[in-house]
Amino acid sequence: MSQTMTEKILARASGKESVKPGDEITARPDFVISYDFPGYTDVFFKETREDFGIEKVSSPERFVLFIDHMVPATAPKEEELHKVTRAWGKEQGVPVYEREGIGHQVAAELGYATPGAFVVHFDGHVSQLGAFGSFAFGARKGVIESFVTEYVTMTVPATVKVELVGTLQPGVMARDVFHHMVRVMGPASCRFKAVELCGPVIDQMSIEGRQTVCGQAMFLGATTMLIAPDAKTMAYVSGRSKVDLAPVHPDPDAVYERVVTIDVSSLEPIVVVPPSPANTRDLKDYLGVEVHTGYLGSCASGRLEDLRVAAEVLRGRRIQPGFQLHVVPTSKAIMAAAAREGLIECLVEAGAFISSPSCDYCFGRIATMSDGQRAVSTGTLNTPGRMGSVDSEIYICNAAVVAASALEGRIADPRPYLAEAATAAGAIA
Amino acid sequence: MSLVNLRGRVAWIFEEDDYDIDLIIGVRNIKITDVKELAGLAMSDYVPDFASTVHPGDMLIGGHNFGYGHPHYPAMRAMRHLGISCVIAESFSPGFFRGEMSMGFPLVTCPGIRAAVTRGDALEVNWDTDAVCNVRTGQKLPLQPFSASERGMLDAGGLIPYLKARIARANDARAPVG
Repeated sequence: MSQTMTEKILARASGKESVKPGDEITARPDFVISYDFPGYTDVFFKETREDFGIEKVSSPERFVLFIDHMVPATAPKEEELHKVTRAWGKEQGVPVYEREGIGHQVAAELGYATPGAFVVHFDGHVSQLGAFGSFAFGARKGVIESFVTEYVTMTVPATVKVELVGTLQPGVMARDVFHHMVRVMGPASCRFKAVELCGPVIDQMSIEGRQTVCGQAMFLGATTMLIAPDAKTMAYVSGRSKVDLAPVHPDPDAVYERVVTIDVSSLEPIVVVPPSPANTRDLKDYLGVEVHTGYLGSCASGRLEDLRVAAEVLRGRRIQPGFQLHVVPTSKAIMAAAAREGLIECLVEAGAFISSPSCDYCFGRIATMSDGQRAVSTGTLNTPGRMGSVDSEIYICNAAVVAASALEGRIADPRPYLAEAATAAGAIA
Repeated sequence: MSLVNLRGRVAWIFEEDDYDIDLIIGVRNIKITDVKELAGLAMSDYVPDFASTVHPGDMLIGGHNFGYGHPHYPAMRAMRHLGISCVIAESFSPGFFRGEMSMGFPLVTCPGIRAAVTRGDALEVNWDTDAVCNVRTGQKLPLQPFSASERGMLDAGGLIPYLKARIARANDARAPVG
């Protein structure tokens, strides 16, 4: 029977020959991933023990915990939560990675993103492991099922195939591609579906760009998004994968609920305007809007290519006096690589405030905005109050737009700066 | 314990698609944990004194993709405290759907519902016929049936009691006979 990647992965995980959309299955996750957060992990630990009488989780090697929110702690109760997490990991034999970076990225670096793997988390942004051909599902509180049984119950989603064709223009990044998909397809277009992404644009796209796109699947309503592994994927996962699985590809005659083809050749940089991630607009219609702060980071963006493009825009320049530019590399490994490339020096000299990896800028726990302030951001979300006051505003955009806007104190087009940098590089060469 | 048929009035109709449920209590109140305080704040940005108009069993009506965004739990905690028995919508956002269903709170997908009701109408939700009936107009609309595990969660009153019952049944099945 012909199957999509989604169907093949879920069939294997549920011990069946094949599955079809609408089947309710009980599937065994290859990995159960969480970060510690009040109301989630602390509750899972307590329920597992007190409601279910389970002292030790079954197959602890499948579990991994990250401490990436509330890092560093600013109140004793936050540090208490981390202590509970460390203690639980130690007692259960479950690894706890702390201060290594944002868990969704570090999971990939550590080899939990294995092509063909079935992964659960409570947070839907885990879908970014789909960049490596994993089926990674944010089950919210349903993850507790995987703590107290070895399984998770779910309905097999129908698969939507999205083929991205054409060539990206200079200054257009993976971030623009994703939000353009939301604009073209609609924020509810893939509700409860899996999206399998393919086409020449994906073939050309870096692993980092693929992580950016797949991680935002929830804003199409999708359960997850995944990309068939190719040579780039295999080069990345080789020597890292935590489990030995045959990579999974869709059958050529797999049946999709829908096939959508999007030509991105005419796509220009976008901005997602408040108050909803559904509001993709052309950047050119928002140029000149005064902004006070900029955030370059998050599990969606903040990787090397984002830092490189920001450095290209900012090299030899200074950001607007009074503008707050926060640059937060997604992981420690990325931060170290950026330092080796001289990107950190360049960004600091331009006036950026650089932080070690943390999730906390993305949800306003630090660098909190006050009433009337406006941000350009590569964070995940632009709902009211997400980065501070309910009366502040967030404009989501790519990393180059954040950098250019920091220079001008207004929403700005990075392409003239990038063109200038390219010309200068050409002159040197 | 099993899911009982619901009867109540339409307490509110959320007309817009992609509705962000955090707006029910106001994003500025999202960190409040006291459920009485949350209940008092519910809908205060829309109408004064919403709480006093709700009768136990009343229902909320939503549009397409109800619960889009990053939904938090306080809004529906507040609504349940006021006596709201379910939300009936054209469709739900998956994250919101999974989160609230795991609380044992029915989210009923019913295409056509938004145009079929006005505020104050009495509705009946019948789980045996999988239909929503508007008592005032007599109109019946089919609802999208729940999957076995979703129905199990609602019957048990939430994910935790459902899992407990399932594990107990599995253990009983494994126990030696006699």
